[in-house]
Amino acid sequence: MRRVTFTAMVTILCHVSASIAEEPIDFSRDIRPILSDRCFSCHGPDDKARQAELRLDRRDDALADRDGTSAVVPGSPQKSELVRRILSRDPDERMPPPDSNRVLAEDERQLLIRWIRQGAEYTRHWAFVPPVRPAIPNAGRVELGVNPIDLFVWQRQEREGLVASPPAELYTLIRRVYLDLIGLPPTPEEADEWYARLVQITSGPVETADKVYLNEDEWQKLVDTLLSSKHYGARWARRWLDLARYADTNGYEKDRDRSMWPYRDWVVNTLNADMPFDQFTIEQLAGDMLPDATISQRIATGFHRNTMLNEEGGIDPLEFRFYAMTDRVATTGTTWLGLTLGCAQCHSHKYDPVSHTEYYGFMAFLNNADEPDLEIPNPDAEAQRAGNLAEADKLLKLLPRQWPAPKDWNELEPDELAFRRGFAVGLAFADWLATERKRLVKWQTLRPVEATSNLPLLTVEDDNAVFASGDSTKHDVYSLTFDRGFAGATAIRLEALPDPRLPARGPGMTFYEGRKGDFYLTEFKLTADGQPVRIRHATHSYAKNQFGSNPVSAQLALDGDVQTGWSTNGRNGERHVAVFVLAEPLPTAERLELRMDFGRHFSSSLGRFRLSATTQAGGAEARDLPADVDALLTLTEEQLTDADRTKLRNEFLLLAPELAKPAARIRALQRPPALTTSLVMQERAPENPRLTYRHHRGEFLQTRERVAQLTPETLHEFAQDLPRNRLGLARWVVSPENPLTARVVVNRHWAAFFGKGLVRTLEDFGLQGESPSHPQLIDWLAVEFRDGGEFIKASWSLKQLHRLIVTSAVYRQSSRVTTEHLQRDPENRLLSRSPRFRLEAEIIRDASLHAAGVLSSRMGGPPVRPLQSDGITEAAFGRPKWKTSTGEDRYRRSLYTYQKRTAPFAMFTTFDGPTGEACIARRDVSNTALQALTLLNDVMFIDAARQFGRRLVEANGSDDELVRDSFRRILTRPPLPDELKLLTQFVKAQRRRIATGELDAKAISGSETDDNKEHAVWTLVTRALMSVDEAMTRN
Amino acid sequence: MNARQLSPLRATRRHFFGDCGIGLGKIALGGLLTSKLNRSARSAPDRVTTNVQPAHFPGKAKRVIHLFMAGAPSQLELFDEKPTLSKLEGKPLPPSVIGDQRYAFIQPSAGVLGPRFGFQRQGNSGENISDVLPHLAKIVDEITLIRSVHTDQFNHAPAQLFINTGFGQPGRPSLGSWALYGLGSETHNLPSFVVLRADGLSGGSSLWSSGFLPTLYSGVRFRSQGDPILNVGSPAGVDTQLQQDTFSLINGLNKQRLASVGDPEIATRIASFEMAARLQSSAPELMDFGSETRDTFSLYGCDPAKPSFARSCLLARRLIERGVRFVNVYQNGWDAHSNVEGNVRNNCKATDQASAALILDLKRRGLLDETLVIWGGEFGRTPMVETNPALGRSLGRDHHPQAYTMWMAGGGIRAGMSLGQTDEFGFHIVERPVHVHDIQATILHCLGLNHERLTFHQAGRDFRLTDVHGHVIKEILA
Repeated sequence: MRRVTFTAMVTILCHVSASIAEEPIDFSRDIRPILSDRCFSCHGPDDKARQAELRLDRRDDALADRDGTSAVVPGSPQKSELVRRILSRDPDERMPPPDSNRVLAEDERQLLIRWIRQGAEYTRHWAFVPPVRPAIPNAGRVELGVNPIDLFVWQRQEREGLVASPPAELYTLIRRVYLDLIGLPPTPEEADEWYARLVQITSGPVETADKVYLNEDEWQKLVDTLLSSKHYGARWARRWLDLARYADTNGYEKDRDRSMWPYRDWVVNTLNADMPFDQFTIEQLAGDMLPDATISQRIATGFHRNTMLNEEGGIDPLEFRFYAMTDRVATTGTTWLGLTLGCAQCHSHKYDPVSHTEYYGFMAFLNNADEPDLEIPNPDAEAQRAGNLAEADKLLKLLPRQWPAPKDWNELEPDELAFRRGFAVGLAFADWLATERKRLVKWQTLRPVEATSNLPLLTVEDDNAVFASGDSTKHDVYSLTFDRGFAGATAIRLEALPDPRLPARGPGMTFYEGRKGDFYLTEFKLTADGQPVRIRHATHSYAKNQFGSNPVSAQLALDGDVQTGWSTNGRNGERHVAVFVLAEPLPTAERLELRMDFGRHFSSSLGRFRLSATTQAGGAEARDLPADVDALLTLTEEQLTDADRTKLRNEFLLLAPELAKPAARIRALQRPPALTTSLVMQERAPENPRLTYRHHRGEFLQTRERVAQLTPETLHEFAQDLPRNRLGLARWVVSPENPLTARVVVNRHWAAFFGKGLVRTLEDFGLQGESPSHPQLIDWLAVEFRDGGEFIKASWSLKQLHRLIVTSAVYRQSSRVTTEHLQRDPENRLLSRSPRFRLEAEIIRDASLHAAGVLSSRMGGPPVRPLQSDGITEAAFGRPKWKTSTGEDRYRRSLYTYQKRTAPFAMFTTFDGPTGEACIARRDVSNTALQALTLLNDVMFIDAARQFGRRLVEANGSDDELVRDSFRRILTRPPLPDELKLLTQFVKAQRRRIATGELDAKAISGSETDDNKEHAVWTLVTRALMSVDEAMTRN
Repeated sequence: MNARQLSPLRATRRHFFGDCGIGLGKIALGGLLTSKLNRSARSAPDRVTTNVQPAHFPGKAKRVIHLFMAGAPSQLELFDEKPTLSKLEGKPLPPSVIGDQRYAFIQPSAGVLGPRFGFQRQGNSGENISDVLPHLAKIVDEITLIRSVHTDQFNHAPAQLFINTGFGQPGRPSLGSWALYGLGSETHNLPSFVVLRADGLSGGSSLWSSGFLPTLYSGVRFRSQGDPILNVGSPAGVDTQLQQDTFSLINGLNKQRLASVGDPEIATRIASFEMAARLQSSAPELMDFGSETRDTFSLYGCDPAKPSFARSCLLARRLIERGVRFVNVYQNGWDAHSNVEGNVRNNCKATDQASAALILDLKRRGLLDETLVIWGGEFGRTPMVETNPALGRSLGRDHHPQAYTMWMAGGGIRAGMSLGQTDEFGFHIVERPVHVHDIQATILHCLGLNHERLTFHQAGRDFRLTDVHGHVIKEILA
């Protein structure tokens, strides 16, 4: 019965549809979005979620015979099970199922039916088909001021019966292109100069606006001037840093500072230099792997070091490293491929052809790097070091003169005093020599025949030291085996050695939570031929706990408790020694085995160390003397040269308790000055690769089979000659066969100028993304950008892409919104006008400071802290206070504002600024009351208004002139008469209230000078003007 | 205005912007509501609304107060009596109990620590409550205790994020943001999602972030000192008249601009300034505790002149009275790695009376039925002792994600019952496990929102608070 009804219904529907129109169905445009959104989650690429073993994302599968029926029978909706199901009223049969929250609209059902009747053709998703350069429509119309962008856009407009808007007014245009290209408004002086150059009157007087034309040559010059401004890089870096999830802190609970700004400066400088985008990509993904990688190329790899680092006590560092890896995969997908790769972390992608295994295959490329802090060489630091050493030498020579003198020497003549002091030093030195010679122990270093651990790779180096590399855990166990040289040993010495390859130069591997370079040895156990070796006691040259005065010592590494042990906090980059004295001399054994346990609530294993043995009777004691001094101590007085004696004497002086204080200063000068560091990626040594596994359900602990480096099959091939590593991946991303990257990049830049992308889902070019509004334009731009051509001469040049966009007529249209616009093109998809949109948080702040005349033009360097109210950063762990920078640093461009992930700069947050927690391809653009309150009441804006007001008072003009000037500094254009009237009324009203004492000029202006009444008036005017809609809008 | 009418569930995106508390003024938008101009949120414009499905049922709760015990209180000292631990004191737990659980600080072989306080049966429900909670003991018949909560995270920041956002890493929308997204706002004069006493928190501002939802759903953190809402006070020297003059100058200029440019977005800007003016005038009234009686202050045990957890509970009540949808009150400092006894005693001194007072106060004002109150931390604490000479710790407890206790009361929740049980060590749940995602599903359910349908499309798929998990805890629903 139901069947009959159904057939009848299909027949009717099909006839109805057929009679309406037979416009050909475009699978990509009309059908795939429906199938993807309503069907693929159960009948798509994810084989784990697939129902009834039916997949509809591939034609062969959709057409396959399934016990006599097929989901889709081309040309025959009546026979297609799909059609029967989407029309069924039986809740058990109906598709999508009623409980799926997915519904097909009537017109969507009809589209599916028509598609099947027309033959059910499938085409590949547009974004996975490489772009081919489309012909430019009406190419003959290209001239100065009309470029292919216009011809593509106009063609579409003509089809829709719309016309483009006239050009914007010149001041609007000048302000627009300044804000877009350098993120700052022009000064009135700049605006007037360009106005004069741009204005071209064809006939009649200037006042007739529609007779004013733009001088195209001058426009090109303006654009070139802005493109070569250093502010260009600062403006465009901010957008890139949104993608890079840049911040100046580590995130999570501790959220401590990190030194990442050299990477930020790299982005600014590189954009200013217009590095081609393919190179820009390769350096950031794999700069360290380029032949003879430069420091700059290594800094560039900071892109993927912008992931967060959890430093909370007790975390599993490998777990959070895994999360950082998932972030790297997702970010790479968003930034370069416009693919939501992150969707395949837990299972195969529900919509796009990316399998679970391919996800981890992609991760495998990025997963084989260590993550060190790169010390950046600095000629200033080298000069400083040389100076420090010279100063240390000088002080060292004078050191004996500071030998303490007994009180009764005060009365002595200088010569006598010097003599007695010299004598006292000489005696003490002789004593020291005698003692140290007696304490001297002859150590023989032991070379392990085997060195293994639970995770870090232990490598025995030429000097018999062991170097640990790779990952470490909260509890690492090192096992070392020796097969000779230990018979008769009475004590074993452990040297913890510094090394530039280690965090803060070691000797430990601690890289989070604790002090960098620290270690924590919890157990030291020896066995000889399998028999435990009894250790009587242990001594150390130095011991300090990171956590207050709680005990640590080498002795505590013998107590069987893995919570107690030895650490040398506070003196990283130095050698430290522990000596373990045995209860009995070691027997002659085949094998001596040493087990050392490391770690506390954070990972803290030794990074470089060496073991030695002595057979000296009576054991030995840990001493703090360098090896070369030890060597001199073995010589007799006669064997010592003068230089040797000086060296010994200096060592004595530096260690003498009597001189501890001045010696500490000398030691500090002798230490290399701290260099600026930046977080980088460093590909691991071939002998210690990090393997990647598939993680069941995306969970860290659920590792399954190993996965090799793999790119998604659906995308372009991974060329044979590319290495299967991070560098190969970077080259694969920018290879000309890649259908996505060039489109994704031009689309994102388009959106920067037009508010929205040609594909509005900037981050998603997959099946769930939106189709392009101008498919041919995006392809033309992508090919022109990638390959270069007549309009973008240098391939991958972002500056030339920007130039092309801002020299189009479409860019220069008026943004006036007409009733026709609202009716025919409400969302401006057809670009019938220039968009208006609110400026980004940073630009709003910079533009205000710039108008006020206080914006600093200094570039680069460590982050700064502009004015901000108290009580904001206290939300974060440890309730940190905000320490406002002084002087010029209060007024640096917003790019340089200190970005704390767990307590971002409040004004930026209010205006939708990012937190640096995730890759952001497009920011929210909200319009809220809190924004109004910020503009009117925030300390930073009040400060700007006061400084602005002060400048106006000093300019000493009439009310009209000052209103005009402040208006133009903020809004560029001259005020209209009505606007002028409102403003001058406001001036008069406030001046009156100030004069009567109703308002407190001092409180408003913050100034106690005589002219503070006028200062207050103009503070109030600029405060209001900086808050008008137009001030925060790109018009 | 009726909240249901204001629901964005049926409205356009723009309509919703008009309705959300700190968003836009609805009136000023006038006839522009049908305009399809969009503000380019991170999600494609029209998806915002199409993916939000109308709720199937009217929610019993209209508002939520979440008393968040940051640092993780010890359930073994407060709610979950385990005499066995006293008997075993100093001895390790059987390894079969511990399994392969990872710990933050202690070794799994650490000895057991007996409860530091006594317990008594309380109320008609006869629930066992610790002696350190004398005030809660008196209202135990008003609440539902869940002694079998468990979480996936065993560190503070991830676990705080997990319970607030359903995910262990920053970047997802918080509970309050989801609630606003789902229900809109009932107030035009105050922010609709307010965060109190959020200082020094492990999870930082991500705990009340709107994540990938539009930023206007973010929680607004009240500062503990000075003007609670940042910049709500006019600057020095600016009196009411001057502020009004300034608003009218700005709106005057904006109106002229609107007339010449025609962009409806300017109308929205005008509306947002009008709302800012309202916010400036309503905030002082909110913070003026003068209308509260001495009886109320003594009920909460608070001094209205001093910031405290108790004063924040009272402020939370004032906020929800004024139509605020979601309030977080944080008490930070339960992280008892050492001296769990002193830690619990001090925190209870700060929170016990006020938490109970909030329930009593809401009840006597007839607000409890429509206000959901939640009390709890991010995880529990170990039955084993934490002792560590190198960290100077003794008689503490480490993090324990397997089992802990929370309580809920008010709108939509049954009164005077408990759910779930742990084993004799308080280590594992032996009856009715309740996952954090279940708590979240239940909170949304009480608000009339189906956690499986409240979704937002971004990064290629639909996201929800409870990921692909979570079941409403039916047993505790009223």
